[in-house]
Amino acid sequence: MVNGLRGHKAVIAKLGFDAHWRGVIIIANALRDAGMEVVYLGHASAEDIASAVVQEDAILLGLSTLSGNHLGECPSVMEQLRVVGADDVVVVLGGTVPAADVPELEADGVAAVFPTGSSVPDLLVLIEELVVEQDAARRKAGSL
Amino acid sequence: MSSPEVSPESTASGLELPAYGRPDDVGPTAASERPGSFPFTRGIHEGMYRNRPWTMRQLAGFGRATDTNARYRALLAAGATGVNGVFDYPSLRAFDSDHPLARSDVGRGGVAVDVRDDFDDLFAEIPLDKVSVSLVSSQPIGAVAHLAMFVQAAQRRGIPKAALSGTSQNDFLMETAITIAPQALPPVGSFQLECDLIEYAITELPRWNPVSISGYNYREAGADAVLESALTLTHAQAVTHELIRRGHAPEAFLSRISFFLNAHSDFFEEIAKFRAARRAWAKWVRDDLGVVHEPSQRFRFHVQTSGVSNTARHAHVNIARSMTQGLSAVLGGTQSLHINGFDEAVSIPSEHAAMTALRSQYVLLHETGVAKSADPLGGSYLVEHLTDVMEERVQDVVAQIDAMGGVVPATERGWVHAELSRLSFEAQKAIDDEEQLIVGVNTMNDGADVPVEIFRLPTDTLAKQSARLAEVRSRRDTQAAASAVEEVGQAAVAKVNVMPAVERAVEQDATLGELGAVLRTSLGLWDFPLW
Repeated sequence: MVNGLRGHKAVIAKLGFDAHWRGVIIIANALRDAGMEVVYLGHASAEDIASAVVQEDAILLGLSTLSGNHLGECPSVMEQLRVVGADDVVVVLGGTVPAADVPELEADGVAAVFPTGSSVPDLLVLIEELVVEQDAARRKAGSL
Repeated sequence: MSSPEVSPESTASGLELPAYGRPDDVGPTAASERPGSFPFTRGIHEGMYRNRPWTMRQLAGFGRATDTNARYRALLAAGATGVNGVFDYPSLRAFDSDHPLARSDVGRGGVAVDVRDDFDDLFAEIPLDKVSVSLVSSQPIGAVAHLAMFVQAAQRRGIPKAALSGTSQNDFLMETAITIAPQALPPVGSFQLECDLIEYAITELPRWNPVSISGYNYREAGADAVLESALTLTHAQAVTHELIRRGHAPEAFLSRISFFLNAHSDFFEEIAKFRAARRAWAKWVRDDLGVVHEPSQRFRFHVQTSGVSNTARHAHVNIARSMTQGLSAVLGGTQSLHINGFDEAVSIPSEHAAMTALRSQYVLLHETGVAKSADPLGGSYLVEHLTDVMEERVQDVVAQIDAMGGVVPATERGWVHAELSRLSFEAQKAIDDEEQLIVGVNTMNDGADVPVEIFRLPTDTLAKQSARLAEVRSRRDTQAAASAVEEVGQAAVAKVNVMPAVERAVEQDATLGELGAVLRTSLGLWDFPLW
């Protein structure tokens, strides 16, 4: 059972024009069941996603796409997060993402990529680790 | 509706399974049913594939129209017997390729189209008077413009409207429940456009199927076999009522309504689903509508194997999965079939994957012998029993939807979204809890994976589509195009059929995005009740 996500806030968004909502809603439900407060934006531009992360003070940003637009859209989101100074948010991406594209996404700051067929319990455990670690880092920075 | 329970005693959609079928499990009418006769449980034609094999219609679409045209022609040369063309998301939703939100999706998951010239390129050298063309224009907002552009591309080659055969998907649920996008139309507005296209086609395009009610996509989005069938039937019933309200005799359009179902993994349940859908539709047309005209009672459908059932890991195993699913469609009496490429979970199909899928269809036709006798499982204790139970369960859900006022109100109030969401969550949970075993996901997962080659899309699509848009915008009569587009909006607001105005706008080289924008302004926008 995942407990470390309780009380934390997640922003979830769809990228570009990708039309599939099944996966993103399953994950949004799973995060909520794990105790997170989830803000689901639907489709949003990079600017709107970054500003939602700031406004909500989210610790997790979940991006979803199955259309193959990730190499076009993810970098814009990461860039906007840097512009607004919210690049300490944990960014995860789910969808139809070929393994060959993962290094490029990770190099740009995406913390984890969950391709189709990922196990939800396993994915929650990994997200929990990332969030707990980031929460500790934020607290430490705040106490300095 | 009960949820899918994964158990040895039930099917994937929770239909109870006996340990073995017995004569007592078969309903009283099964023995007298024949293919080609009411209620068509056993098939819509007596001879079925002996007289005419199913149409082999492999889905294709990527990059620009010229790229996709080459794929269509390769498939036709290799034995495909119909074209099945899918559009990219901006084109489905009627946005121009150079719209700021569209740029990363141009030419992905489908072909990019913006103006009628793109339809000239898309169908170049394809004999549109001989080959039937399925336009997977899933959303009515795009479908109305795509069809006008297609018709004009044909006419520019001297092919008259009456010679065109094919299908527009044109399904309001695709626009308002199944797929999401920025700036979606409300269900009522999308349904209005869907019926406008149908009304136009039944008078102007005698060989055209103006709607393909997309149970397939309802299933992919999370429905089980029961909900897939119930949404399909209630949607077709809503269309029928609306066309009658608009003054059309059911006999004039029912035989042009076509259906599109999923072939998922639970083999006998799927066969029962196809058989039950035919019977339920025929009964509704005859007994509820009172239409005795037999062609109006025939549930004609296309099948695609289930994309969502395919795995990225051990992807070649998808060939076995899709083949079994395709077999269920043939045993279930489909009129046309797409078998998924084995790279479905990874990328859009490479030419190798698409050709392998097409050749698999010929294995079914030429090698297995399953196409020689119609409805070969008719009379099977188990299959007849499941057909009866499926029909009953589907009718329960149909009654539930009817109680909400039909499928359009059920969509508006979020019931459809909630059911899809609930069922997909439960299906995922069953996989996570290892109640449902999936090879390569939660069982038989070891061993080195042999990754499939990823099909890489052309990289120049956005630049070239943007250049074409700029060229068309500069050469056309701007004033005439703008006022023609304005008239489309006025028709939509006045609830007058938009198709004649769309045709005139397309003649003035209005772009898909301009038509989409005016329809969004006129019909309004809607927030998906997803969260």
